[in-house]
Amino acid sequence: MMLLEAAAHMVDPSTISTSSAPLILFWIFSAVVLGGAILTIFQTNMVAAVMSLVATFFGLAAIYAMLSAHFIAALQVLVYAGAIMVLFIFVVMVLNKDEAPRPMRGLITKMIGAISIVSLMFTLMPLLDNAVPGGVETPSADFGTVANVGDILFNDYLFAFEAVSILLLIAVIAAVVVARTHKQEVVEEGHLAEHEAMPEATIEASH
Amino acid sequence: MIPPTYFLYLAALLFAVGAFGVILRRNAIIMLMSIELMLNAANLTILTFGRIHADPHAHAFAFMVIAVAAAEAAVGLAILVGIFRNRRNVNIDELTLMKY
Amino acid sequence: MTANLHLIPLLPLLGAAFSLLFGKRLGKNVVTLVTCGAVAAAALVTLQMTFILHHDLPPGGALVDTFFEAPWMKAGDLNLSAGLWFDALTAVMCCVVTVIGFLIHVYASAYMEHDENYTRFFAYLNLFMGAMLILVLGDSMPVTFVGWEGVGLCSYLLIGFWFDKDANATAGRKAFVVNRIGDFGFLLAMFLIFYHTGTLKYSELASHIDGLHNILWLGLPVACFAGLLVLVGATGKSAQIPLYVWLPDAMAGPTPVSALIHAATMVTAGVYVTSRLHVVYEAYPQALAWIAGIGALTALFAATIGFAQRDLKKVLAYSTISQLGFMFVAVGSYVNGSSNYASGVFHLMTHAFFKAGLFLGAGSVMHAMENEGDIMKMGGLRKHLPHTHATFLIYCLAIAGIFPLAGFWSKDAILGGAFAAQWDVKNAGPVAAWFAMHAGKIIYGVMLTAAGCTAFYMFRLYYLVFHGKFRGTHEQEHHLHESPARMTVVLWCLAIGTILSGFLGVPESILPESLHHFGDLLGEWLKPVVGVQLHEESAGQFLGFAFVATAVSVAGIGSAYIFFLKDDGVRAKNFVATFPRLYRVVFNKYYVDEFYNAVVVRPLRGLSRILWKFFDEIIIDKLFVGGTAAIVNGFGKSVKYLQNGDAQRYVVGVLVGMALILRVSTHYSAAHAAQFHVDQDGHAVTAVPQNDAYTTNVRFKVEWGDGQESDADSAHPRGLKHQYASSGTYKIRLETTDSRWQTTASRSETVVVR
Repeated sequence: MMLLEAAAHMVDPSTISTSSAPLILFWIFSAVVLGGAILTIFQTNMVAAVMSLVATFFGLAAIYAMLSAHFIAALQVLVYAGAIMVLFIFVVMVLNKDEAPRPMRGLITKMIGAISIVSLMFTLMPLLDNAVPGGVETPSADFGTVANVGDILFNDYLFAFEAVSILLLIAVIAAVVVARTHKQEVVEEGHLAEHEAMPEATIEASH
Repeated sequence: MIPPTYFLYLAALLFAVGAFGVILRRNAIIMLMSIELMLNAANLTILTFGRIHADPHAHAFAFMVIAVAAAEAAVGLAILVGIFRNRRNVNIDELTLMKY
Repeated sequence: MTANLHLIPLLPLLGAAFSLLFGKRLGKNVVTLVTCGAVAAAALVTLQMTFILHHDLPPGGALVDTFFEAPWMKAGDLNLSAGLWFDALTAVMCCVVTVIGFLIHVYASAYMEHDENYTRFFAYLNLFMGAMLILVLGDSMPVTFVGWEGVGLCSYLLIGFWFDKDANATAGRKAFVVNRIGDFGFLLAMFLIFYHTGTLKYSELASHIDGLHNILWLGLPVACFAGLLVLVGATGKSAQIPLYVWLPDAMAGPTPVSALIHAATMVTAGVYVTSRLHVVYEAYPQALAWIAGIGALTALFAATIGFAQRDLKKVLAYSTISQLGFMFVAVGSYVNGSSNYASGVFHLMTHAFFKAGLFLGAGSVMHAMENEGDIMKMGGLRKHLPHTHATFLIYCLAIAGIFPLAGFWSKDAILGGAFAAQWDVKNAGPVAAWFAMHAGKIIYGVMLTAAGCTAFYMFRLYYLVFHGKFRGTHEQEHHLHESPARMTVVLWCLAIGTILSGFLGVPESILPESLHHFGDLLGEWLKPVVGVQLHEESAGQFLGFAFVATAVSVAGIGSAYIFFLKDDGVRAKNFVATFPRLYRVVFNKYYVDEFYNAVVVRPLRGLSRILWKFFDEIIIDKLFVGGTAAIVNGFGKSVKYLQNGDAQRYVVGVLVGMALILRVSTHYSAAHAAQFHVDQDGHAVTAVPQNDAYTTNVRFKVEWGDGQESDADSAHPRGLKHQYASSGTYKIRLETTDSRWQTTASRSETVVVR
C-alpha cells in the first residue's frame, strides 16, 4: 500500500507525469501486472494462480492510481483483490483439485487462437499509436476522487447504478440457487441418492 | 514522462495474456480468472482515455465494469461448484454436452 | 337532421359481442334476454326514428348520422366518410328487419332451446341483425357494402351452423362462393360509379348524375354497365337466375335462420340496393328491362321447380326465389321516367311477413316431426298442430294472393305495374322498339302464370302436410305435438302482420271518398324517395286485374286440391306415372346444379387439380419449400461440426473473428478511398475521389506514370489535375493513406492520352 500511495502522490495532475521517476514506477508496475498475469495463466497450482492474480490486481491498482483514478484504484484493491479473489480462493479450496498433467488436446485450435491473438495485437498496436491525436488534458483538482465519482454516479448514472445493484442482487441469488445442494432431490429419491454419491466421493477423497 | 499510449499498450498486452489464458487452460477456474484479466484490460483502457480527456465519467464506467465482473465471478463460480458436484472436475474440455 | 342512428345497428352488434364473450358463462337465459333485448331495443329506436322522420321532417327528408368524418377511407381522389342515412325507404326496411327479426329471435329461443350451441347461434343472429341494419342504413355504397359482406358472412356461418354434418358445411360454402360472384359485381359497380361521378353517397348521386351518361363501351353509357353490375350483385344476394343455386342448399341451416336470412331480410338486399340506386337506372332505363326480365324468368322457373320438391323447406326456398323474382319485376317495371320500386318494396314487406311465417310454420312442423322434412311422410297434421295449421293456411292464402290478405295487394301492384311497363328505347330498330313497348304485357303474362304456379305449389304443400292421412312412422305420429307457446305466439303475430300489412297499399281509386286518406299509404310514404307510386290505374282497371289474378290463384288452389287431396292424390301419382321423365327433370331442378357443375365447377376443379398436383406440390412444395429446406438442412449438417461443445474452440472463433474484422475494416477504409475516377481533357487527366466522406481523413498520392507525382490532402478535395507533355499511354498509380489507421491502399489504371 505504501508503494501505491507513493505512486499516487507522484502523479502530476497536469500531465500523466513529467519526471522520469514515475516512468520507472510505471515499468515496475507493468512488470508486476504482466508477470502476475502470465504466472496466473501458467500456474498448475491453483492457489498460486489465484495469488498471482491478486498480485496483478495490486499492480493494476497502482497503475490506476497513476491515472489519477484514486477511487477506482481503491475499489480495485477492495473489491477485486479483496472480495472477488477471496471468493476464488474459497472455490479453489472447495474444489481442491489440481489439474492432472495430461497431453494438451485441440492443439491446432489453440495454435489458431494464438495466431489470432498475435495478429490482433499487431493490428491493434499501430492504431494505438494514433489513438491519442491531441495532448493530454489537465484534469480538475478533484479528478477521480470519491466525491467526484460519487457525484457522477448518483446524478448522471443513477439508473445504471441501481440497475447494477439489482444485477448484483440477482447474481447473489443465482449463485445461491445454482450452487446449493438440491435437498429436494435427496428427499425425493430417499437414501438411494446419498448412497450412490458416497462411494464416489470416498474414491475422490482417497486420491 | 509516461506517454499515454504506454497504458494502452499495457492494456492490450494484458488482454492478450487473458485471451491466451482462456484458450490455453482447460481448468475452468483459470479461465474465469483470465476473463477477469481481460475485463481489467478493458477497464485500464477506459480509465486511460478518461485521463487523456480529463473526463471522470470514465470512472463511473469502470465502476460498473467492476460490479458486473463481481456478478459474473459469483455466478460463474457457483456454476463451477454445481458442475463439480455432478462431475467431480471442472475441466472445460470435458464439458461438451452442449453440442450438436 | 342528425340523429343517433348508429344505435340501431350497434345494439345487436353489442349483443353479439356480449354473447360471444360471456354467453357461455352466463347461461342461456341471460343470452336470450340480451340478444332478444338488443333487437327489441333496435326495433324501438327504429320506430322512434321513423316517428321523427314522419313528424319532424318534410316529405323526402332524411336523418343522418356520420360516425366517421371525411377521411374514413382516403386514397387519391377517394375521400369517404362513413355514416348512416335514414329516409322513407330505409325506414320501411329497418322496420321490417327489426320487427321480424325480433319475432324470429323470440321464436328461435324456443326452437333452439336444446341446441348445445345456443349461445353461438344467438350471437350469430345478432351479428346478422347488426350487419343487415348497416346494409340498409348505409349512407353510401361502401358502408352498404360493409353490411352486404357482413350478412354474407353471417349467412355462411348460420347455414353451416351444424357444421359437423358435411352437407351443411358444403352448403354454407356454396352460398358464400356464389355470393362472392355477386359481390364482385357490386364492387365493380361501385368502382365504376365512383370513377365517373366522383361520389358514392346516395344523397349526392342525383346531383352528380352527368358522369353516368359518359359513353363507356360499345356505345353504351356508364349507367348501363353500372346498373347491370349492380344487378349481378343483386342476383347473387337475392338468389335470381343465374346465381340462385345457393338458396335451396342454404336450407341446411336452422329454420329460424332460413326464415330470417333466407326469406325475410338478407335475400331482399338486392331489391333494396337496386331501389336505392334508382338514380343509376333512371339514367339508363333499359337496364331495368333486364331486371324485369330476369325477375320474371326466375319467378316462373323457380315456381315450376317448386312443383316437384319433396323437402318442406326446399319448396319454401324455391317459393322465396320465385317471390324475389316478383320483386325484381316490380323494380324493373319502368314507365314514364320512373319505375315501380314502391311495389317492389311493398311486396318485400308483405313477403317478409308471410314467408317468415311459412318458414317458422315449417319449423314448427319439423319440430313436431322430429326434424323430418319430407312432405311425403307428413299429412293430416292439422289435428295435431292447430295453431300452426291455422297460421300456415293464412300465409298460404296470402302468398297465393287471395283477397284481402297482404299478398293480394302487393302482387296485384306488381302485376299492374308490369302490364303498364314501357322501356323507352332510343335509336333502336323497329323490333326492339316494339318489344320495349310490349314486353310489359309478356312479362305480365309470365307473372300471372307464376302467380298461378305459386298458388298451386303452396297448396300442394299445404294439402300434403296438413290434410290427408299421416304417412310417417308410428313413432313420429306418437310424438306429434303443438309447438310451445313462444313459437305459436310468434306465428300468430306474423299472421296478423300478414293480414294487416296489405292494407298499407290499398289503391286509392277503389276506396270511397271518405277513406282516401288511407289509400296507398306506403306508396305516398316512399314517393319522395323513389318516385311514382304503386297504383295509377282507375278502379275499374284495378278490379279487372284483381279479378284475373284471383281467378288464376283460385285455379291454382283448385288444381292443387284435385291433384293432391282429392282421392288421396291419385291424380298426381298418375300424372307422374304418365310423364316420368318430365317429373324427373323438374324434381332434379332442371339439372341446373349439374349443368353448373359440368361447366363451371368441374373445369375449375380440374384446373385447380393441375395447379395443386403440379404447381403446388412439385414446384412450390418440392422445389421451393423443399429446396430451401434442403439447402438449409445441408448447410446445417455440414457446419454443425463447428458446434462440438468445446467452449475453447468457440473462444478461438471469436478471436479469429475479432482479428479479421479489425484487419479488414482498417484496410477497407483506405482501399475504399482509393476509388478514383479518371477524366480526360486534352492532354490533361483529372483524378477525382469518388467518395467525399473519406477526403478529410485520407491523403491521396498520384503517380502519373510520366515520372511526376502529385500529393494532395484535404486542400484538394475535388481531385488532382495533371497536364501531360505528350500523348501516349500512361499507367497512373493512385495511392491513398488513411490517417486514422495509417493504412495504405493503391490502385492502378492505364489511360491513353491523346
